[in-house]
Amino acid sequence: MKLPVSVLKDYVKTDLSAEALGDLLTMTGFELEEILEINGEPVLDVNIMANRGDGASILGLAREILAKDPAAEPTELLSRLMADTPRRDRDNRDIWSQTNIKIESQACSQYALRLFPEVTNGPSPEWLQQRLELLGQRPVSLLVDLTNYVMFELGQPLHAFDAALVQGQRIVVREALDGERMTTLDEIERELEPGMLLICDGEGPVAVAGVMGGSTTEVSETTTSCLLESAHFDNQSVRRTRKRLGLQTEASYRFERSVDPEGVVRALDRFADLLEEITGAKPVGGAAQVVNFTYQPAELDLSLPRCRALLGVPVTISEAADALMGLGFSVTARPEEDCLWVGAPSWRFDIAREEDLIEEVGRIYGYERIPEWPVAGSNGIGGAHGYEGWQDRVREAALRAGLDQCLSHTLRKAHELDAATDLVPLLNPHSPEHAVLRNSLLPGLAEAALRNGGQDLRLFEMGRVFTDATERAQLAILMTGQGRGPDWRKDGAPAADFFDLKGVLEAVARHAARPLDLEPLDGADGRFHPTRSARWSGGVMGQIHPQWATATGLPAQTFLAEIDLEAWYGTALPEAPYTTIHRHPATRRDISVLVSQDLPYAQIEAATRAAAGEWLETMWLFDVYEGDRLPAGTRSLAIALQLRKGGNFTDEEANQVRDRVVAALEGLGAQLRS
Amino acid sequence: MDAITPLIEEARAVIHAATSTAALREIEIQYLGKQGSVSGLMRGIGQLSAEERPAFGAKVNEARALIESELEARREALREGEWAAQFAAERIDVTLPGHEPRVGIEHVLQQTTNEIKRVLGGMGFVYQESPEREEFRYNFDALNYPPDHPAMDAQDTFYLSDDVLLRTQCTALQGRVFESTKPPLRVFTVGRTFRNEAVDRTHNHTFHQVDAFMIDEGVSMAHLKGTLGTFARAMFGPEVKVRFRPDFFPFVEPGVDYAISTPKLFNGKWVELGGAGLIHPNILERYGIDSSRYSGFAFGLGVERIPMMRYGIDDLRYFFENDLRFLRRYASAR
Repeated sequence: MKLPVSVLKDYVKTDLSAEALGDLLTMTGFELEEILEINGEPVLDVNIMANRGDGASILGLAREILAKDPAAEPTELLSRLMADTPRRDRDNRDIWSQTNIKIESQACSQYALRLFPEVTNGPSPEWLQQRLELLGQRPVSLLVDLTNYVMFELGQPLHAFDAALVQGQRIVVREALDGERMTTLDEIERELEPGMLLICDGEGPVAVAGVMGGSTTEVSETTTSCLLESAHFDNQSVRRTRKRLGLQTEASYRFERSVDPEGVVRALDRFADLLEEITGAKPVGGAAQVVNFTYQPAELDLSLPRCRALLGVPVTISEAADALMGLGFSVTARPEEDCLWVGAPSWRFDIAREEDLIEEVGRIYGYERIPEWPVAGSNGIGGAHGYEGWQDRVREAALRAGLDQCLSHTLRKAHELDAATDLVPLLNPHSPEHAVLRNSLLPGLAEAALRNGGQDLRLFEMGRVFTDATERAQLAILMTGQGRGPDWRKDGAPAADFFDLKGVLEAVARHAARPLDLEPLDGADGRFHPTRSARWSGGVMGQIHPQWATATGLPAQTFLAEIDLEAWYGTALPEAPYTTIHRHPATRRDISVLVSQDLPYAQIEAATRAAAGEWLETMWLFDVYEGDRLPAGTRSLAIALQLRKGGNFTDEEANQVRDRVVAALEGLGAQLRS
Repeated sequence: MDAITPLIEEARAVIHAATSTAALREIEIQYLGKQGSVSGLMRGIGQLSAEERPAFGAKVNEARALIESELEARREALREGEWAAQFAAERIDVTLPGHEPRVGIEHVLQQTTNEIKRVLGGMGFVYQESPEREEFRYNFDALNYPPDHPAMDAQDTFYLSDDVLLRTQCTALQGRVFESTKPPLRVFTVGRTFRNEAVDRTHNHTFHQVDAFMIDEGVSMAHLKGTLGTFARAMFGPEVKVRFRPDFFPFVEPGVDYAISTPKLFNGKWVELGGAGLIHPNILERYGIDSSRYSGFAFGLGVERIPMMRYGIDDLRYFFENDLRFLRRYASAR
């Protein structure tokens, strides 16, 4: 809402500057967006809260200024408008429309008309045109400009019909019929739907109620008589209609935020006064008004103890009463009960509960007077625990393992590395680039990799992925090339391979206390190289399928992992029992065996651990050899055993362990190499 | 007997003639080693009578000690020069680049999230996750949005079906918590929110929000201000002040917009951070919480705004672009 300072001063006597008025309105809740300069004059651009349609007028904002600033006073004009003195002719209902207005919908609580039988519709006088420009409105013609000006002044939208073009001397307010059509003022033919509220004459629709008039009854330069409408329409009805028509107007903006039902006729009178002042044209008779039903403003008790408890300030009963009366509420004090009886003014349809009154008292009393108190009371331990806390550990482990963290969009388009499940589409996407929900984090990582040069990258993301039925947290990793930048020592790490990715996963798995029992994926996921990929209870990992490396532009030696965090979280390893950390020296035995290439190392390790028994502190593989010097289909593995117990080993004891392991491995078909 | 003295003299001369500690190690072996000359003397002890043996043994040991001390004295004299030569030869350029171990870059929004979690967790708020794909009733109905209300205009929504959407505000967690948890409670979340908006420097269709709320007996606007003050000072420095101004959100009454000001940032101007207020009694009653006994507050703010304000980042789009130059720039931030 634009509020020109010069216009405001016709309504409020104040010495405040534009900046000070902006600050004052901000602190009432009507936030100053900016101070514009229009035609060399300062104009406040003020945000109207969604529940305070009464503020969308000069009158409404003037009320707030008067309530908040004790030094400000209303001008004679504002006092007259607020007093709502009826025009002398108000009770004379000698116009045709009085008996011919019919309201057929509960979406219209009242409808009123004035008839101006002799008008000329030329350009507005200079002062009116200037004011409208300051208010951000383009001047059109006197009749249109006056409806707009009164709307900005009082908040009540008006609509001027060319009376000669209204057919059948009747107005019916009703909901649209299926298949009905009309052309609005913007010359667009609109399909109407049942539920939309219409203003109709004897032949059909002449306006979409509260939104826009129709072109058939539009006032023009040739208009010689005018029928002026002022009405009160249901806010939800107007909002639904303007949304379905995609047609927001100054009128619909106000109606959907609710207008003052007591101001309907006042706006007709104000228009008549201004028109008479400018042209001398008088309305016939009085205003015709049909009231379908009336709204009852809220009447509430305000308990001062509760008010103080919720605001945290020692507001007195008289301070609270003054604040409310300043805003137009009627107040009766019951000091013995420390309580006020409060009646809301007709324009404050947002007031429904005691808490609403407490807010009114608070914002006039001043939120700057609220102190800062620390919270006391009872609660459990704060922070992240359980699954949420575990996810923090996983992310920490990924960072420690040298992976850079990415955040990619949830909304995206289809990609080669999407998971096999169907992508979930938005009903109303903003663009085709962001039309579906991701079902994997890998596409985002692939794009991040390419954005950053496509080589020598270690990336991860943690975030939500979607299928039709599920929303799950995922961890995804992308590794390719060297793990560090160029180095003058020329001994940079070799390019990432499958086992670098597996090592990162092992580090994360250890930190997260979850298993990583890989088995071959064998083509079960088409995104991966079928013989260089694996799966486990937590996810899938491996080299990208060459087909998708080519399609995406990623290097062939790109390694990917996709982990379902919820599934992995559910496979917690049992806590290891306490064992003594012995202080005696360890002893080592090495074993070198020739085995079939088809025998997975995991089996060898498991057999070794089982055979070595409790003295085996740790074991590691220190050589794998495959080559011409060995029989075809075999490989040689060299395994170190580190043994420790609560005393020193004799050679014989250590050898016995080694011999047991050798026997076990021979049982798997291994041959001991000397 | 006479064999001992010449041996000592000989050893002394050899030790003095040595020019390196390596040569001294050879001399030590030659005289004092298992096969050395002094040990050789001891082997002759068998030819002596039982009376002579102790005296001879003592003399040999004396000789050994003498040679050892000569060796040590000479070694010390030589070592200093040798080290000087070694250090001169081993000089390096300490200004050459180091060989950093690889540690991942933590996204700047993650760092901000971690700080938020530390601060609110420290004040007893429990972190809880909530779906990004949300039901209309949690995103709007449960938060006291009247049907067809203009308050929804600020929440342009992506829909998946008539009643399923992408949450427009993390406040959607409230109803889920109130269904299952009785007061007193303090809960917060940090997560993605979605708005059907065109993307530019200051708007994105996806951004992050913190949402925190508590319910207890006697919770007031002053507790809200105190909590926000503590939170804002933890995030922006000890001199931060908090200001409330009235605003409307359907889920709070009274509702405020809160701004912060600090002499260090933004030239002391008030900068609005987010919305807050006392949880609307309609919401408490909807979930069977006695609004005459309990009250609560809620506040929310955009996560991206925090690093933008702190570091002067002027384009919201950076946060989702995964440009490592941007992420590395803020990798060590605070």
